[in-house]
Amino acid sequence: MADSVSFSLVTVLIIMGISLAFAIGANDETLSALVGAGVVKFKVALIVGGIATAFGMIFFSQNVGKTVGEDILGSGVKYTDIMLLAVLISSIIWLIIGSFAGIPLSSTHSTVGSIFGVLIIYSLTQGGVNLETALNYDKLLEVVLGWFFSPALGLLVTFILFKIIARFYLSRQRGLNQIEKSEKRFNWLLFIAVIFAEVWVGANSAECVGIFYGILSSNYISIMQYWFFVVICGIFVFLGIFFAGRYVIRNLASHMTNARPSEGVIIQSSSALILMLATFLGLPISHSHVIVFCIIGLNISQKKEVDKKGLLKMALYWFLTFPVAAILGGLIYWFFVLLGFS
Amino acid sequence: MKTYDKEKLEKLSVDELTHTFMDIINEQTLVLIEGIEHLIDEDFETFKKNLNYVIETSTEVKVKKKFESKIFKSKLMFSKADRLKVFSKINDIKNIGEFLANKMLLYKVIFPDEEFKIQIRYIINSLRIISDKISDAVKFIGSDLVKAHDICEEIKEERRKMRKEEFDLLKRLWGYDMDYLSRTFLYLKELIEGIMMLADHIKNFAEYIQFLSTKYLIFD
Repeated sequence: MADSVSFSLVTVLIIMGISLAFAIGANDETLSALVGAGVVKFKVALIVGGIATAFGMIFFSQNVGKTVGEDILGSGVKYTDIMLLAVLISSIIWLIIGSFAGIPLSSTHSTVGSIFGVLIIYSLTQGGVNLETALNYDKLLEVVLGWFFSPALGLLVTFILFKIIARFYLSRQRGLNQIEKSEKRFNWLLFIAVIFAEVWVGANSAECVGIFYGILSSNYISIMQYWFFVVICGIFVFLGIFFAGRYVIRNLASHMTNARPSEGVIIQSSSALILMLATFLGLPISHSHVIVFCIIGLNISQKKEVDKKGLLKMALYWFLTFPVAAILGGLIYWFFVLLGFS
Repeated sequence: MKTYDKEKLEKLSVDELTHTFMDIINEQTLVLIEGIEHLIDEDFETFKKNLNYVIETSTEVKVKKKFESKIFKSKLMFSKADRLKVFSKINDIKNIGEFLANKMLLYKVIFPDEEFKIQIRYIINSLRIISDKISDAVKFIGSDLVKAHDICEEIKEERRKMRKEEFDLLKRLWGYDMDYLSRTFLYLKELIEGIMMLADHIKNFAEYIQFLSTKYLIFD
C-alpha cells in the first residue's frame, strides 16, 4: 500500500515537473526582442528559440539542478516525495498570487524559499535531524547572494557594455540612414544574442530540473530515468514556447517594434552572460530580475528616467518571495505531516 | 518646374523621394510668397497666376504615390513610421498653402498704407527663410541629425520674431478707423493668420525633427 502511494506520488511529481517545464516555456519572453525587431519569421523564431532553450535545459542544467535537488540539503538529508510535492504546491500558489497581483515573481526564489520552509518543518517534526543540519547553509548563502549579485552585475555589465559600444560606434552614427543601416547589422547580432540567452535561460531553470534531481538523489528514479525525464522536460519547454509562449511573445513584440536592435543586443548579451556565469557556478537565479536590472542599467547609461515606484514594488515582492514561499511551503508540508505523510 | 516621369521616380529611394517631395512643396511655398509680394505691389494678374499655380500644380501627387508604395514594401525597420510622419508633415505644408491661396483669391485687396506693406513684407520674408530652412533640415535627417536639429533651432528663432511682427500687424489693423472697409479688414486679418498658420506648422515640423534627433542620436 505504502509503495503504491509512493509510486503515485512520484508519478504526480513527474507530471508536475514536466508541466513546470511547459510553463517555463510558456512564460518565456526572451524571444519577443527578436520578433519585435522582425529579424526572422515568427515561427522560425519560436522553433529556433525553443530548440535553444531545450538544448540549454538538457545539456547545461545539471549544476543548478544539483544545487536545488541535492546540495542545498544538509548532509544525509534527502527529499521525500511529500517534501517535493509541498515545495511544488507552495511555489505554484505563490506564483499564481503574483500573477493576479500583476507582479513578475521569480519561480527560482519561490522554489528555494519553499525548500527552506519544508526543510525547517522537516527538521522540527522528524527525528534525527535538527535545524542546524537540515540545510547546507553555506550553499543557501551562496544562492541568496547570487540573487543580490546577479541583478547588480547585470546592471553594471549593461552600463559598461553600452558605454563602450556608444563611445566607439553608436555615437558616430549621425544620420537616420546611417543609423538604420547600422541597426540592420545589429539585427543579426540580436539573433545570436537572443539564442545565446535562450540556452542559458533553459540551463538555469532550476525549479524544473532540480525537482528531478531531488527525485533521483532520493532514489525514486534511476540515472537513466532521470536523463529521460530531463530530455522530456527539454521537449516540453520547447512545446511551451511554441504553443503557449507565442501569445506572450507576440504581445510583447508588438510593443517593441520601435526598439533599437543595438539596445536589444546589449541587454540580451549582458543577461545571457550573467545567466551563464551563474549556471556554471550552480546558482539558480531569476532571469526576470536580471533582465529588469539590465534594462535599468541601459536607462542609467542613457540618462533616462528609471521607474522608481515600479522598481520599489518589484523589490518589495522580491524580498517577500523567499519568506512567504518558506512559510507557505512549511505550512503545506506540516499539513501533510498532520495527515500522516512525511 | 521640373518634371518627374514614372521611370525616374522608380529609381529613387525612400529618402530621395522625400527630398524630391520637399523640393516641390518648398518651390510651391516660395511661389505663394512671391504671389503675396505681387499682391502688395498691386500686380493682381501675376498674383493670380502665382496662386493658381500653387492650387493647380499636382506634380507632388505622383511623388507622394510612389513614396507610399515604396515605404509600404520597404525593409526599413524602426524608422518607417517616423519617415511616413515626416512625409505627411511636408504634405501638410502644401495643404495649408493651398488653403491660404484659395482664400486669398476671393478678393482683391488694397493695402491700407506703406507701413502695413513693410510689415507684411517682413513676415513673408521670414516665411521664405523658414520654408527654405525646413527644406534643408529635411534633407539632413538622413545624413546628419545634429545639423538638422540646429537648423530647426534657427527656424524656431525666426518664427518667434514673426510672432512679434504678427501682433504688431494685428495691432495696426485693429487700430484703423471704424469706417475702414470691413471686407479689407477681414481679408487682411485672414491673410496674416494664414501666413502664421503656415509658419506655425513649419515650426511644429521643426520641433518634430528635433524630437527625431533626440530619439535617434546616441551620445557617449
